Amino acid sequence: MVRHGRPALAAAFALLLAFALPPAASQAAACARPADWTGGTKTAGEVWTAWWRPDPAPIKVSAHFSIRFHLCGPPVSRVSVRGWMPDHRHGMNYRPVVALNGGSGTVDGLLFHMPGLWQLILGIRGETARETLIAETVLE
Amino acid sequence: MTPWHSRASAAARLSALSVVLWLLSGLAMPAPALQLTAEEERRILRHGPWPPASRPDPSNRVSGTPAAIAFGRTLFFDPRLSVSGTISCATCHQPDRAWADGRTRSRGHRTVERNAPSLFNLRFNRWFGWDGAHDTLWAQNLRPLLDWREMGIGPAGAARLVRSDRQLSCGYRRAFGAAPGEDDDLILVDLAKALAALLETLVTGRTPFDDFRDALARNDAAGQARYPAAAVRGLRLFIGRGNCAVCHFGPAFTNGEFADAGVPHFIEAGRVDPGRHGGIRRLRSSPYTLLGRFNDDPQRSTAAGTRHVRLRESAFGEFRVPGLRNVALTAPYMHAGSLRTLADVVHHYSTIDEERLHAGGERILRRLDLSERERSDLVSFLETLTEQPRRPVVRKPAHVQCR
Repeated sequence: MVRHGRPALAAAFALLLAFALPPAASQAAACARPADWTGGTKTAGEVWTAWWRPDPAPIKVSAHFSIRFHLCGPPVSRVSVRGWMPDHRHGMNYRPVVALNGGSGTVDGLLFHMPGLWQLILGIRGETARETLIAETVLE
Repeated sequence: MTPWHSRASAAARLSALSVVLWLLSGLAMPAPALQLTAEEERRILRHGPWPPASRPDPSNRVSGTPAAIAFGRTLFFDPRLSVSGTISCATCHQPDRAWADGRTRSRGHRTVERNAPSLFNLRFNRWFGWDGAHDTLWAQNLRPLLDWREMGIGPAGAARLVRSDRQLSCGYRRAFGAAPGEDDDLILVDLAKALAALLETLVTGRTPFDDFRDALARNDAAGQARYPAAAVRGLRLFIGRGNCAVCHFGPAFTNGEFADAGVPHFIEAGRVDPGRHGGIRRLRSSPYTLLGRFNDDPQRSTAAGTRHVRLRESAFGEFRVPGLRNVALTAPYMHAGSLRTLADVVHHYSTIDEERLHAGGERILRRLDLSERERSDLVSFLETLTEQPRRPVVRKPAHVQCR
């Protein structure tokens, strides 16, 4: 798990990764949506590309939801997930739990408790690499 | 599908939007003072419709049943549920006082640390009590029954009373389908569940704000015009510069969570109310939660919050964000009743001392420095959250022989 001592630093670190490292275009392009999915969002990093989707969708303010995800890339040993509101500089009041099964998994216990811009931050660790992927959504 | 997008694409869209807004800004005519923007309309519409849909509480097997509601009503007004025989639920939650007591801090057998909150719209909560130490309405009802400073009858006293009193025993049997058994804890929890069934019915009625909001939704100009101009101005502050709607979100005007509002939380010299931090610790040590044996839902379908709640250092000194419907009827305000009027509350937020916030870097509350008129407008808006007409007050039931 990628652990960060301070949320603000963690966000900055994540953004650095997101901006500084150009996506591995070929790997991202080759990462297909899981066959049994009808929706979902693809987020590409340097090492891994993630497909993820919330359940239930869409995410509503102050309502619990889960995430299903599928990762393309090298084998994954650990995944951590957290939510972050960059404008307010706070995270969630809940600690999500990740169940990892190979390159796929679910995250339970998520809740975004305010309207506005939220980041879903996925910390991925493999045997030789670690990476942070960020997806953003604005809750109305 | 939620509009997920990567940071890069978000930035691109923001840039494009900025260009469009910049181009349009030169063409736009000055708007009338009370004309709402599309963004303001969208934010206002979030606060309805009212009432929202609701369903029985799966953790309470008698939720929504008429027999339990009737039994809960009997229990609510019965002082024999206190160890002294003198204090009932209605002592601190008086129907004529919007289910509160008008005191700063409430008094049962002793004065407690906090203000008795109103009982309106509890069925929509995720957490209960100022510190959210309880994850169901029935568990919250146990608190005064177990605390000797409030009612304090406890499991043995409650079970003895219900078993020995013919009328209460009959009411229990009707509500739960069986006579009270041997498990004192279970009987006490069942009383709390019958009380919860009653409290679930206390949903506020429609308000002038709801009429305005719905008129906005159907583009009814005449309906919108009936809403006072001062309230519209106050509403704009509420959803805009005041940033109030970030926490007071949605149809019930609460996001159901907790916040540090910059209110002192000293109980007395040297003693501090830990607020939400203490509430989470109490929740985790309680046998009366959604994860325990008293939950009637074998699927634990509503227990996600209890499973995943996080004990944050920043929760120290946070208190529940109260819903604002009927707020004009429920003075005094804040967790210890420290602010006497709505005008005091607005003044507090307008002049908030940011140094007192234990915000841990958060950027939500800011000193607003509202003008006198702006403060008055905000109060005007809050007053339009009062139901009209007022719903009939629930009274102590007339004595009817239970058979």
